Amino acid sequence: MMLPYLIVVPLLGAFAMPIIGLLGEKAREAWAVVVTAVTLGVAVEVFNTVWRGGILLYTLGGKGPLGNGVSFPVRIVWEVDLVSALFALMVTFVAFVAVLYSTEYMRHDTGLEKYYTLVILLEVGMLGIAITGDLFNFYVFLEIMSIASYALVAFRNDTWEGIEAGIKYMFVGSLASSFVLLGIVLLYGEYGTLTMAYIAKMVAENPTFTAKVALGFLIGGLLFKSGAVPVHMWLADAHPAAPSSISAMLSGLVIKIGGTYALARLAFSVFSLGINVRTMGWVIVLFACATLIAGNAMAVVQTDMKRLFAFSSVGQIGYILLGTGIGLAAYGSDVGNLALAGAIYHTVNHAIIKALLFLVAGAVIHQIGTRNLNELSGIAKRMPVTSFAFLVGAAAIIGLPPMNGFASKWLIYESSALFNPLVAVIAVIGTAFSFAAYIRVLFTFFGRPSERVLTAREPGKAMLVPMLLLVVAIIIMGLFPWYIGDRIMVPAAKTLENTGAYILALTGGA
Amino acid sequence: MKRTLGALSLLFLLGVLLTVASPSNGVKFGPGGSEWTKYRYTDEYYIEHGVEEVGGTNIVTDIVFDYRGYDTLGEATVLFTAIAGAVALLRPWRRDGDE
Repeated sequence: MMLPYLIVVPLLGAFAMPIIGLLGEKAREAWAVVVTAVTLGVAVEVFNTVWRGGILLYTLGGKGPLGNGVSFPVRIVWEVDLVSALFALMVTFVAFVAVLYSTEYMRHDTGLEKYYTLVILLEVGMLGIAITGDLFNFYVFLEIMSIASYALVAFRNDTWEGIEAGIKYMFVGSLASSFVLLGIVLLYGEYGTLTMAYIAKMVAENPTFTAKVALGFLIGGLLFKSGAVPVHMWLADAHPAAPSSISAMLSGLVIKIGGTYALARLAFSVFSLGINVRTMGWVIVLFACATLIAGNAMAVVQTDMKRLFAFSSVGQIGYILLGTGIGLAAYGSDVGNLALAGAIYHTVNHAIIKALLFLVAGAVIHQIGTRNLNELSGIAKRMPVTSFAFLVGAAAIIGLPPMNGFASKWLIYESSALFNPLVAVIAVIGTAFSFAAYIRVLFTFFGRPSERVLTAREPGKAMLVPMLLLVVAIIIMGLFPWYIGDRIMVPAAKTLENTGAYILALTGGA
Repeated sequence: MKRTLGALSLLFLLGVLLTVASPSNGVKFGPGGSEWTKYRYTDEYYIEHGVEEVGGTNIVTDIVFDYRGYDTLGEATVLFTAIAGAVALLRPWRRDGDE
């Protein structure tokens, strides 16, 4: 059983980093790369186990989750179903790529042993959220993830925007975390347990007003964390201000694991049996539509490359929320299943694509020193590999057929058209905006070289290899879209919808 | 406008929370007797089995370090993260070293 090492390895990596850091620069870079690579290996193994064997239950400190002679859980459990395992794999892959990239990208910065400590702690936080089956434990790891990302956003403390964005992110994020904690407190007061699957059972037996209020607080807090539209303002500042390797992790992972994944997990695995799923689904769909339009439309008018990508992330979160919302509103039907599969697929795809785009932006900033799109014309002549990586990423995020973004967006379009044509129209309008935004950048890249660009060179291997790894992942996933969809994403959506099996894995496992 | 809306929604949240906090609609305060076993069955278990299963006579430390020890590890990590973050942000600026 490799599951505990998913936490043990990166936690050891983070706690040992200050000591390893004493050995010098090379040692800590090597340590960070080795730790993230081993974690990636463990995640592959865990994913493989879960994919073949179904839900994995692990009790910390006990043989079984249930107490001695009683029928309720008394210890913290991990409950890893296919969705958790898939997202853990995604987290470890992008984190590994980002750390590899940082070895060259962050070379001009100081305080790097703290940087690598925080990056690995960010990974620990996200893995903890993905695998946990305990509500308070979820909160603890949400805090680890959040605090690490506040510090990493403001890591370049000699820039004004870094500190400003960090403060903004911290205030908004702490408020959101306290909402989540309040929701958990209410649930515990009403039901007397913290294990997700057991709360699901209790909510199903006795859905109270308190449970609805708690759900409201949880959804509110998690929408903050995912950057859905009325509360997306922190994201557009935080992602451009962070170092690019961190933007890649923030945009690719943090807003999904701490936001949309947690939302889907709570909605499906905890509340779907007791609360009216149709209402819950429509609430999420409304937020999703606003997010789709506003995020993508704001991306069109940006002149700052990273800000454009940040708003595009907001827009793509809209697709994921749309899939989740339709999955809830059409719970139990084929349409709902398809939409949820699309949402899970798009989460993974967007994590890889947006990580690639932010790494490209980082390479451009590192080599040329500006992110103003008006000064960046004609990069393609001087930096062909980077421009090629951008081309692949842009094609994938718009959803052109040979790339991975096509299949996931197709699932979401198809299901939303079957669900409600108006929603599908909104989704298509969002894509039109996103298309306009990326075509603009593409024309800039392939235009006539400007003065600033004339002396630019390609970055070194340690920055190019991570980008090419992501390009390869995008193309390979794009070549077998329906195979991946049928073999992984649809079963994952089915396990998420099957709340009964989630509860049974806990109570029946004694 | 925004401020008014914000104040109104805070007022609404306060109202909802007050409703939830009233014993007739929501969470019970000071549950005793049969309510204790209905709402606080997990606590009952810890109190009854804590000494024999864990060995400590202090129930709180039994829970914090044994039953829910993983959360404590997480809290220690939160603290470590906060310290690493604060130290990272309070380091001297880059240009100071160059001059």
